[in-house]
Amino acid sequence: MAEESILTDDFLHELMNVGEVDVLVGLPTYNDAASIGQIVQAIRAGLVKYFPRQRAVIINADGGSHDMTQELVRAASITDLQHTPNPHALRTLHSISVRYGGGPSTGRGLYAILAAADLLHSSACAVISADSTNIEPEWIAHLLQPVCQDGFDLVTPAYHRHKFDGLLVRNLVYPMIRALYAKQIREPYPSEFALSGRLATHLFGQDGWATVAEQDGAKLYLTISAIAGSFKLAQALLGSKTRAQNSPPADVVDALREGVGPLFFSLDQQPAWRSSMPSEPVPILGGRPEVTLEPLRINRKRLYDLFRSGVSELEPLLSSIVSQATLQQLEELASRAEQEFCYPDELWVKTVYEFAASYHRAVLNRDHIIQALAPLYRGRAYTFLVENRDSQSEEVEKNVEALCLTFEKFKPYLGELWDGRK
Amino acid sequence: MPLSQDPQWYKDALIYQVHVRSFQDSSGDGIGDFRGLAQKLDYVQELGVDTLWLMPFFPSPLRDDGYDIADYRSVHPNYGTLDDFKGFLEAAHARGIRVIIEMVLNHTSDQHAWFQQSRSSRDNPRRDWYVWSDKDTKYQGTRIIFLDTELSNWAWDPVSKQYYWHRFFSHQPDLNYDNPEVREEMWEVMRFWLRMGVDGFRLDAVPYLIEREGTNCENLPETHAVIKDYRARLDREFPGKMFLAEANQWPEDLGPYFSSGDEFHMAFNFPLMPRMFMGLKLEDRKPITEILQRTPQIPEICQWCLFLRNHDELTLEMVTDMERDYMYDEYARDRSMRLNLGIRRRLAPLLDNDRRRIELMNGMLMSLPGTPIAYYGDEIGMGDNVNLGDRNGVRTPMQWDGGWNGGFSTADPEKLYSPLMLNPVYGYQAVNVSSQKRFEHSLLSWMKRILKVRKSSPVFGRGSIEFLYPANHRVLAYVRSWGKEAILVVNNLSSSAQAVELDLRGYKGNILIEMFGRNIFPRVGDLPYLLTMGPYQFYWFRLRKL
Amino acid sequence: MWDKFVVELSQAWQELIRGVAQFLPRLLVTLIIVVIGGLAAWVIEVIVRSILRLVKFDRFSDDSGASQFLRRTALPSSTELLSRFVFWVSWIGFILVGVNVLGIVGLEPHISKLFAYLPRLVAAVCLIFFGLLAASFFSRAALLAAVNAGSPSPKLISSAVRILITVLSVSMAFEELGLAEQTVLIAFGLIFGALLFGLALAFGLGGQELAKRFLEARFLRETPREHEDELSPL
Repeated sequence: MAEESILTDDFLHELMNVGEVDVLVGLPTYNDAASIGQIVQAIRAGLVKYFPRQRAVIINADGGSHDMTQELVRAASITDLQHTPNPHALRTLHSISVRYGGGPSTGRGLYAILAAADLLHSSACAVISADSTNIEPEWIAHLLQPVCQDGFDLVTPAYHRHKFDGLLVRNLVYPMIRALYAKQIREPYPSEFALSGRLATHLFGQDGWATVAEQDGAKLYLTISAIAGSFKLAQALLGSKTRAQNSPPADVVDALREGVGPLFFSLDQQPAWRSSMPSEPVPILGGRPEVTLEPLRINRKRLYDLFRSGVSELEPLLSSIVSQATLQQLEELASRAEQEFCYPDELWVKTVYEFAASYHRAVLNRDHIIQALAPLYRGRAYTFLVENRDSQSEEVEKNVEALCLTFEKFKPYLGELWDGRK
Repeated sequence: MPLSQDPQWYKDALIYQVHVRSFQDSSGDGIGDFRGLAQKLDYVQELGVDTLWLMPFFPSPLRDDGYDIADYRSVHPNYGTLDDFKGFLEAAHARGIRVIIEMVLNHTSDQHAWFQQSRSSRDNPRRDWYVWSDKDTKYQGTRIIFLDTELSNWAWDPVSKQYYWHRFFSHQPDLNYDNPEVREEMWEVMRFWLRMGVDGFRLDAVPYLIEREGTNCENLPETHAVIKDYRARLDREFPGKMFLAEANQWPEDLGPYFSSGDEFHMAFNFPLMPRMFMGLKLEDRKPITEILQRTPQIPEICQWCLFLRNHDELTLEMVTDMERDYMYDEYARDRSMRLNLGIRRRLAPLLDNDRRRIELMNGMLMSLPGTPIAYYGDEIGMGDNVNLGDRNGVRTPMQWDGGWNGGFSTADPEKLYSPLMLNPVYGYQAVNVSSQKRFEHSLLSWMKRILKVRKSSPVFGRGSIEFLYPANHRVLAYVRSWGKEAILVVNNLSSSAQAVELDLRGYKGNILIEMFGRNIFPRVGDLPYLLTMGPYQFYWFRLRKL
Repeated sequence: MWDKFVVELSQAWQELIRGVAQFLPRLLVTLIIVVIGGLAAWVIEVIVRSILRLVKFDRFSDDSGASQFLRRTALPSSTELLSRFVFWVSWIGFILVGVNVLGIVGLEPHISKLFAYLPRLVAAVCLIFFGLLAASFFSRAALLAAVNAGSPSPKLISSAVRILITVLSVSMAFEELGLAEQTVLIAFGLIFGALLFGLALAFGLGGQELAKRFLEARFLRETPREHEDELSPL
């Protein structure tokens, strides 16, 4: 059902005219007119430079923008229609822009793009975020060449990031996926990535895919499906990660909803994590990602305050979610002064696992469970910031690695919670 | 059958390019000749063409297949006598077939009497008939055309101890068109043939007539002035005769060769040809539509000449490096096929002997704006032999039947000027006129049919072109119009079936009549016109409002 | 005179016995109806319980937080509760029918009224039940939102939401039952109004900062939110 409504008739009509392609670049958008122009130019330049002989198309799956986003994308085609010959491109490079059915959502946009990749039999498909204003043509090569030439099925990005950027990924998502699914993927829900036609077809073969598209976390689901399906994975170093200038910094609760909710949900959908395996590194192509260290303005005290108020105000809720022992430890932490505050790795891991188990059993409304994690995450973020305040990049990496190992060590604990044995 | 008296006959012409040496040998010496050619005029007439273009037949040391001319007013003894030529010319005209011959203006053979005299001493009256210099540094930066064999445009003459200028082989010294004597003499040469009844000249290598320091020595205004002068004389003394330019240039640079209708009547559209092949391989019309967008408008009395292949390599001079690499990788993977920035192959081998692709390319040749030229042997799908060196692989004897020497000559096979094609696919036993004449569905029969359909409407030769740009880029579609007549041409460049929707709103109400079967197709309405096409299929539709 | 007294007495006695003789069968029927009703109600209860288990009603009530609520108030699970409720309603229905059979004059219109009252009773119970559910859910949502936004006194906000919704649903239930309608209406109005007024004051005076920041973020996008970091957690 979902499939019929997401791929509109217009979409199919445009795909008919494009025909079979070798390389597809998907661009989900919603009101991104400010950044879309330069992104499409960069993609176009990348395709013309690195894939001049391949049949390629740029597909913009739009959620219903009303700021001329679609017009801007269409204007970027290299076809003979503009009547200005382009001798630098051998082939017609289609840029089509279509609306997908239903309202704007990441999941639906992604679904539409992958459906197009499947229908057009593309051997490689890249998805680029409309937020990545620092994109360069080389990104197209870095993402797609491993798929086209080296037979990888999923290429996720790796970035040079500030040591304090992406704390949720560093402290929760990355270590947890690594521990449970045994693959060291740094960006489990990537803004941009590439996948092979094989993987796209496999995703469509799964029953749950259409439902996932309707919810948050389609990207994470994609990553975990690729891991669970034993596909060949790689990471490509792209550069620094930025966001579009006018998009506000993500709210912690929204970030948890987008990142952690789907992760917990996936534990049900993809039970492959029950078997125990040590985690394997995923090759990083194109260099090593660096941790940048420039000084940054961060309101640490607020994190600490929110942790304390969260633990005290949410005590009745938390008692339904976490174990007694954990709750006591959290309360003890909340009672400490700021200078002595430290949310240790082991406690954090147990907290997360207990939350995951409670989510699985739906002891409360699931969204409320996620929201209840927010103050605790803030406490953990505070500790991370303090511990790494003066650290160099190697030390930050070491600390993250230690956290990952703790996650791996307590994996059996999650198993027991899951089965209700604790 | 009388020749048409229309002064613009060349716009409706269907030209057949023939090498006398390769066509038919009547004397049994293993080399084609004019008497043999005359014997085969019936075949030419049946084929449906109405103009013959003969490659050079003048006396020559034959180091460049006759383009190194040693005497402009005679016929090479290999091919017969001047009387044989006259006889052939008469016979051709009697069948309504015009004859265009080569006129190599730019250079002669170093065996030509003029050069022999010119080089004999610095004081010789003909010294100045060629371009001499003490140093070989003059006209720096001028490109070398025969890159595979020549290192410089200057050659040292040990006899008169000076350098002489040659844009082609070193045994082909350039004539000096700054010398009025040279200009006059060349006009007299042309006049000699025009008086005999020849209908026009293909002027070989025209961009290079004049050299000037600080330029690339191509397409100079002085060169155009020379041609304009010849044209004025031609119009005065021999109205109805035609000049055809061989100028391998970018589209923007071809316009001046037509000037305002006072220079060449026709010019080859060199840039289009490789792009037709490219479009076919890419399965994308972009190279073709873009080059035609860049092609300048020409005066109404002028005409483009279109061709798929000819006696030279498929030239890749007028393409970008990226395009050249693509063409090499797709059409000439074997390096021995590459020569002088081109590919020395015939039509059928280039298209993998795929009948559908051969038909499609011919369909485009006949329907794009211009006068089409077919190269001898391509109408039966002859193959090539790259091992023969230079461009001789595409100049093998015409294959008439499966018998002795393919019916080309009664001589011993070892005496033939060139070995015949022998392999099972393209050999003369497999590919020849006689067997193809027997079958309605042979390539030869098909060629006759398409030439007939082409001839049935003047729109193809004289009409304008309007490209339709359907969203499906694998389909090349355009409308040719002339007066009230309009023809819709749709070509599927792809190896797979395609659906295409054409915006024919401007032709609403017209019925489409397919020109080969003359069947009616639905009328054009308000909605986009949907056509479904098989792999490499093409349609020609006459648009009729009834 | 004594004879007349005895005759009258024996007549009266016979009438009484006749009356009792007439009454007893009806009583028997009533009791049979009540017993059968009990059995039928039990069967209905079992069927309802199976249906609810089949559609995983417990799961639904888990998700909405009803189970939590019930556990805290030491009530059995939703399925159980609902099944038992259905049992009692059905049995009471049968009992009323039985009582009707007794033919006690003057009781019939009251029994009809009771019957007519039953649906409203069910509605009122549902209102209160779902109202309490909603109160629980929304008060928790408000608590979480307030805590994560860092606003002062999140518990106050949470309780206020809970009370508001509870009062609303109880008032609606009372109105449905038709008990002291006017009183309830006025009382509800007063309490609701006072609460809202109180909240407005609290928010207005105490939550000035928050309101200001909220409005700024909504309508003046150029002003960056100062309280959140430059970083992205993702």
